[in-house]
Amino acid sequence: MTAQLSHLDMLEAEAIFIFREAAAQFRKPVLMYSIGKDSTVLLHLARKAFWPQKPPFPLLHIDTTWKFKDMIAFRDKTVRDFGLELIVHTNEEGLKRGINPYDHSPSVYTDVMKTQPLKQALDKHGFDAAFGGARRDEESSRAKERVFSFRSPGHRWDPRRQRPEMWNLLNGRLGPGETVRVFPMSNWTERDVWRYIARESLEVVPLYFAARRPTITRNGQLLVVDDDRLPLLPGEVPQMKSVRFRTLGCWPLTAAVPSTAADLDSVVTETLGARTSERQGRLIDHDQAGAMERKKQEGYF
Amino acid sequence: MTAVTAIRREDLAPAPTQDLNGILHLLTCGSVDDGKSTLIGRLLWDASDLYDDQRETINRSSNAATGGAHPDFSLLLDGLVAEREQGITIDIAWRYFDTATRRFVVIDSPGHEQYTRNMASGASHADVAIMLVDARHGVKRQTRRHAAILDIVGVKRVVLAVNKMDLADWSQEKFRAIEADFRELTLRFGFREAIAIPVSAVGGDNVARKSEHMPWYTGPHLLEHLERIPPRDITPRGPFRMPVQTVLRDGLDFRGLAGTVASGYISVGDRVTDVLSGQSAHVLRIATMGRDLELAKQGQAVALQLDSDIDVARGATLSLTNNLPTVATQIEARLVWLWETPFDPASGYFLRTATDLAPISNIAIQSLLDLETLVARPSEKCGVNDIAIAAITLGRPVAVDAFADNQPTGAVLIVDAITGATVAGGVISTATKGDVANASAFKLTRELLERGLCRDLGDSDEDRREFQRRASEAALLLHAAGIPVKIEL
Ligand SMILES: Nc1nc2c(ncn2[C@@H]2O[C@H](COP(=O)(O)OP(=O)(O)O)[C@@H](O)[C@H]2O)c(=O)[nH]1
Repeated sequence: MTAQLSHLDMLEAEAIFIFREAAAQFRKPVLMYSIGKDSTVLLHLARKAFWPQKPPFPLLHIDTTWKFKDMIAFRDKTVRDFGLELIVHTNEEGLKRGINPYDHSPSVYTDVMKTQPLKQALDKHGFDAAFGGARRDEESSRAKERVFSFRSPGHRWDPRRQRPEMWNLLNGRLGPGETVRVFPMSNWTERDVWRYIARESLEVVPLYFAARRPTITRNGQLLVVDDDRLPLLPGEVPQMKSVRFRTLGCWPLTAAVPSTAADLDSVVTETLGARTSERQGRLIDHDQAGAMERKKQEGYF
Repeated sequence: MTAVTAIRREDLAPAPTQDLNGILHLLTCGSVDDGKSTLIGRLLWDASDLYDDQRETINRSSNAATGGAHPDFSLLLDGLVAEREQGITIDIAWRYFDTATRRFVVIDSPGHEQYTRNMASGASHADVAIMLVDARHGVKRQTRRHAAILDIVGVKRVVLAVNKMDLADWSQEKFRAIEADFRELTLRFGFREAIAIPVSAVGGDNVARKSEHMPWYTGPHLLEHLERIPPRDITPRGPFRMPVQTVLRDGLDFRGLAGTVASGYISVGDRVTDVLSGQSAHVLRIATMGRDLELAKQGQAVALQLDSDIDVARGATLSLTNNLPTVATQIEARLVWLWETPFDPASGYFLRTATDLAPISNIAIQSLLDLETLVARPSEKCGVNDIAIAAITLGRPVAVDAFADNQPTGAVLIVDAITGATVAGGVISTATKGDVANASAFKLTRELLERGLCRDLGDSDEDRREFQRRASEAALLLHAAGIPVKIEL
């Protein structure tokens, strides 16, 4: 009778459904926007969910001040192009204390420059719901994450407070002091994100495409030097290499991969044929076993 | 340590930009140690496009239980740190893999008796359930419980994977005996399809390829069977239902009722009705960003623009005028109690339907279902992991269907009014507009609210939502004070 819905159609419809459920049930939502490909898809889905209206919530970017310059430029252009409201928040206290990604361990850095400011911003504006682009396939502790993930006062994630989710009924009635993180892309995979970007012809940060960039190799990982803040070790001389990123974050913590995929089609082809999962390129995950789970309990995402 | 070769990925990987042929949601259930994690791990190993780092991890492992003869495939399903330490699975975990044509979502649920609720919530998302048994032990008490839970939450297809056939001498007799028990068991339920497959998860026999050890088995192997199951939406089932999630506006010209088609389909020009308010209008436009549709079917998220501006908001369910849902204030339902805190008749609860949230004025637990015998024993109490039959009286009508008639609009949640917790999931057996029990109830009317509590509210959408909210909260307070209440707005 009609064409069958493809898996991307189904994932898209599910995300739109989740956005609408959340917007209708929560008083003051916000979209956690981290500029990367997942955020790009998340924002596109939000625009679809409320079209022809604009999404009825602002974007929130936690700026560690260590994002690639290209990311900030892309963020500002996106907000302008779609006429969105953007809130940028930085942990000024952490900046003053000089917390940075090379002198401090990933867990300290993440806590001070990402987790704390996220909590600060959510509290400051009184947001009761925050949309995020997290996917269950990203990491084993996320495999059990709910679509509506409840946070106790203080933003703590308590496994025992999580509500069972049955059928597609999303219960958003908050208990006293509770807030919620909402994950419309829970059921997407890394490959879906790229397939969808290609299908919808979405613009992404140019860092996802291969280009010749100044790189150093440290601890077996390729780093692109985005400015002169990172002290180089003896013998480290930036060399121009054709590289791109599979995932984007703070530049001293994000490894590049050698690649010649310089346009969307070749990136998609390369990603769908990729032989290692993307979390290999994210240095903070290797910090300690169960690191992600602990971070989550502390309120990072 | 033996490296196990996989089917060549070139044969499996979908063409790079190709959309997959729908999504199949697969629930796995079994008792601890039946081999569930190993089975799913093996399926991923053989039939999906795992990443190299994942394959390395598995190849590096060797399983003590099999004398190191096989890698430990169950590692592909590792979970929360707490659970790894306890060595058991206590929550449901979601995994994703693609075969050449299809996306599979594996919902991994725990088997213990005390986790009935987790299994029920996992099963509510499943298109098909794989029930695992150990070939040496056959169908057990536990299997019966699982089948009952699957049936209650509406799973229509089940597969019995008879595992560890290697430890049962690959014996056809043993398998046939288990298969016969399984047939007898499934006959008691409303499954559309039930099949048994003999497998050995560690060796991959009949998992993603035919077993050489069991030539007597001529049926499909597990993956073959799963790939044949038709996707959910191929023929939209059931009457058209679209629960309205929110109303979208664009200037004065556009007012779209936004929602996902829960069942059936709708075309431009069809006449739709909101059964609660009794208003109807024709569909002028089925809008989505980028393009308008002529027809929207089950699973599609759209915004319907109607030809006359009927007063419909979140909570309404649009349907075709010739096939309406029931406007119900009396509901009989089977409830799976999900929360640690038991049912308390003095607490305030809400009934959550697809998009509506209505105050409950009374829940009468009638009996608890014994999942092994399927006998209902009279009870007024109900606690975590119980399956109860309950009569629910609502403070105001909602639009619902019986679950057997239409699953998407026949499933509900019970929500605790104070904590907001989802205390139970329920399926509606009967829904009626019984006013009898409400005859003596206090009537919370629009006039009453307007003159005091809601005096400050105007006519905007936002104010109307706020009006509804205050009405619900007022009803709960009255109910908590022991006054039966009926909202008449
Ligand atoms: N011999 C044999 N052992 C198996 C088979 N499947 C699983 N096992 C073993 O049974 C034990 C329990 O398996 P596991 O997958 O962890 O069970 P779960 O608790 O159901 O997830 C492990 O030691 C497995 O190696 C099988 O087909 N044959």
